[in-house]
Amino acid sequence: MNIQIDFTLNGRAVSIDAPAHVTLLRLLRDYLNLTGTKEGCAIGECGACSVLLDGRVVNSCLVLAPQVSGRDVMTVEGLAPVEGAMSDLQAAFVKYGAVQCGYCTPGLVIAGEALLRDNHFPTRDEINDGIAGNLCRCTGYQQIVDAIEQTARQRAAAQVKE
Amino acid sequence: MTPPIIQAIMTVGTSLPRIDALSKVTGEAHYPGDLVMPGMAHAKVLFARRPHARVISIDASAARAMPGVLAVFTGADLPVNEYGLVLFDAPVMVAPAASAATETSFDGVVRHEGEKIALIVAETEKIAARARDLITVIYEDMPVIASIHDAVKPDAMQIHPHYAGNLMHEYRIRRGDIDAGFAGADVIIEDTYFTGAQEHAYLQPEAGLAYVDEAGRITVQVAGQWVHEDQEQIAHALGLPKDQVRVIYPSIGGAFGGREDMSVQIVLALAAWKLNRPVKIIWTREESIIGHHKRHPMWAHARLGARRDGTLVAAEVTLIADAGPYAYTTTKVLGNATVMCVGPYVVPNVAINSRAVVTNNIPSGAFRGFGAPQALFVAETQMNKLAAALGVDAVALRLKNLLRDGSITVNNTPIPPGCTITDVVQKCVAAAAVAVSAPAISGQAGSRFVTGRGFACGHKNIGFSFGAPENCAATVELHGKTTVERAVVYHAGADCGQGAHTVFLQVAAETLGLPIEKITLVASDTATSGSSGSASASRLTFMASHSIVGAARAALDKWREGERPAVAHFVYRPRATTPMDPITGEADPNITYGYVAQSADIVIDRETGQFHVRRLVCADDVGRAVNPQQVVGQIEGGVVQALGWTGLENFAQRNGKVLSQHFSTYLIPSVFDVPDVVDSVLVENPDPHGAMGIRGMAEMPFLVVAPAVVAAIHDATGVWINELPITPERLRAALQK
Repeated sequence: MNIQIDFTLNGRAVSIDAPAHVTLLRLLRDYLNLTGTKEGCAIGECGACSVLLDGRVVNSCLVLAPQVSGRDVMTVEGLAPVEGAMSDLQAAFVKYGAVQCGYCTPGLVIAGEALLRDNHFPTRDEINDGIAGNLCRCTGYQQIVDAIEQTARQRAAAQVKE
Repeated sequence: MTPPIIQAIMTVGTSLPRIDALSKVTGEAHYPGDLVMPGMAHAKVLFARRPHARVISIDASAARAMPGVLAVFTGADLPVNEYGLVLFDAPVMVAPAASAATETSFDGVVRHEGEKIALIVAETEKIAARARDLITVIYEDMPVIASIHDAVKPDAMQIHPHYAGNLMHEYRIRRGDIDAGFAGADVIIEDTYFTGAQEHAYLQPEAGLAYVDEAGRITVQVAGQWVHEDQEQIAHALGLPKDQVRVIYPSIGGAFGGREDMSVQIVLALAAWKLNRPVKIIWTREESIIGHHKRHPMWAHARLGARRDGTLVAAEVTLIADAGPYAYTTTKVLGNATVMCVGPYVVPNVAINSRAVVTNNIPSGAFRGFGAPQALFVAETQMNKLAAALGVDAVALRLKNLLRDGSITVNNTPIPPGCTITDVVQKCVAAAAVAVSAPAISGQAGSRFVTGRGFACGHKNIGFSFGAPENCAATVELHGKTTVERAVVYHAGADCGQGAHTVFLQVAAETLGLPIEKITLVASDTATSGSSGSASASRLTFMASHSIVGAARAALDKWREGERPAVAHFVYRPRATTPMDPITGEADPNITYGYVAQSADIVIDRETGQFHVRRLVCADDVGRAVNPQQVVGQIEGGVVQALGWTGLENFAQRNGKVLSQHFSTYLIPSVFDVPDVVDSVLVENPDPHGAMGIRGMAEMPFLVVAPAVVAAIHDATGVWINELPITPERLRAALQK
């Protein structure tokens, strides 16, 4: 049975018909062609499908699509200020070598963004807590934590200037 | 003729951002599962899910009759129903005996749980999944042989017609006089070891899209490690000439050896060929875990003899690897383990016997380190026990016995020039300020938390071994009128995440004297490049840099001669290697080696049996770091993957059935499981075999984490652990003994 789902996606109003049982992950990938959000396990164990739901990080494989009706969803595609550019956190992932195969990267960028919105001055331990639900098999995580830490510092410095 | 202006542009040696990083952080990069085409159908595999059974019949009539189902393919649809990297000894899909379209050696027997039975293609993934449930397969279950010990019992059932006595392969090394060697030993260390299977757990499960391209070629876009090998395997099974098959790699979500063998490639190609329609498949995590091979579990018995002054006099090792039912790369992995199992030392008297044994477990195959981590776990733990027994410093004991240029190896030939392990060990020790002796137990007894430090070092081949054909092709095109304005590099090499494509461009930029922005890379497509060989054996940076330097120089020569555009093709062939003599093991087995030394500082919770690495120092001779940031990424990632194998990753199989099919039961390291600090020490002694001195490095950080941790556990507690993974249960039990 199809159902109409109205929600905000990456700052834009979206209205889409989809079966009521599909997950948010499938809705994004199969119905909205936003393939930046990845499936690594489909049962909430790896974090590759992380998105922001009303600003909080969720595993989109564990959210049913109709649950996002009237709510705000942000995916990796929505983080950059303009298309073709990168957010400061995305740029830090590039700069600090936090990307290898890149399959976990969208989820980790989302988890990092959620953390930084919540906590402007995270310690490395707090960054670890923030990305603990996201598995990466390539990097050993240090360069990812570096990228998030440096972005926090940049944002704090920018706030002081303002 | 105006010569091209070769600017001194420094690109090699700088940490340029990866060329694929922007597309990966923004989500624009396409992995195989992200690809779509108009009219695309969806496929599902029916797996046997039983470890040993004869297929009596497959009835897919109900599935075929289901609306939306386009086809159900079985092994009978494959012209040549077989695949395999070193031997064609595995069926693509198990079909009842004598049903195949052409003769093969296969007999309708399922030999492991992940064996494929059928491919269902439908308009949607959901219909394909439902139709899969309608297929009736009648099996006759057979006795399951789930351990190497059961497999070699005299009355054990033969699992595979090719492998009598369930013995797949064996090697033998004899150097000097082993009995005289041990007779002259003042101390002999003797023990038995076991290392477990490891799942690659790349975050991107197997996926692919196959279609017929504009030139009529059956094209498969997939994640793999060697496009031309995939092409050959597909062409072989479909009974087609290679040029009618094309393989392209989009972004690859990790590989680590786990994508060397076939997963979805052949079945997807079959479907696109028969249906003349694009067909896509994505495996679930569970399908990925049962559907591809694992790191070989290995059992070893080892004796090591030394004189009181620490000079090694004799080493004897028996090594048995669980191959699972098919060869995959087992013969090569076992060869590597055989060469590496006494460590990077001069040992005058050596006797090694190694065997690969056939079981009904998931097949074993390539995984970062390719047999060397298992072998070095044995060799280095033996060395650390010897140091403890002699009461000498573990590093000093190494320095006394390490291979040096001119040293004779276990294969009775000199180690290739550029043997720098002494320098690597010293640099690691300096970085860690290691004062390795083992008196750390006193003062800690009774405390819940105890600390310890351990050391280990090792070596591993770079490039293919034992006389396997080894080469790598590149093409370079130079465009412009009076000066070279831009260049195009064509290279088949796979970037599995290790950064190979960025490295290719850095090497090209340096050789051509062009800014990297003016060079385009056309990569990983059998239609546009010659074979690169695989992204494996720490070989791709080593081999590809040679090929690109060669092609770039040849293109510059043509440019000077006035050719516009100047196009040059170059195939790099390193010095030849030789296979091991079956009786003595004598060989010149490898082109060159990489060298690593590691020091681990750990803390152990004696109550829970958990250990945590506080600091891990890894010194790795990379020859020349083309991109230091990417090298550090390989070291940090390799160390953590090795720590997973050492302490966390318990790939559980019971009676041939995989029990750990999810990340909730197969635990790979999360951010909480990594060392507090990984210190990467980049040693840069130019390799005499390398272009610009470049040496391969990606496997080295994995090699000796486990024995360093085991030594640290001994340093902290006085207990030796001989079995991996060192789960909390195991460690706690050992501490309570």
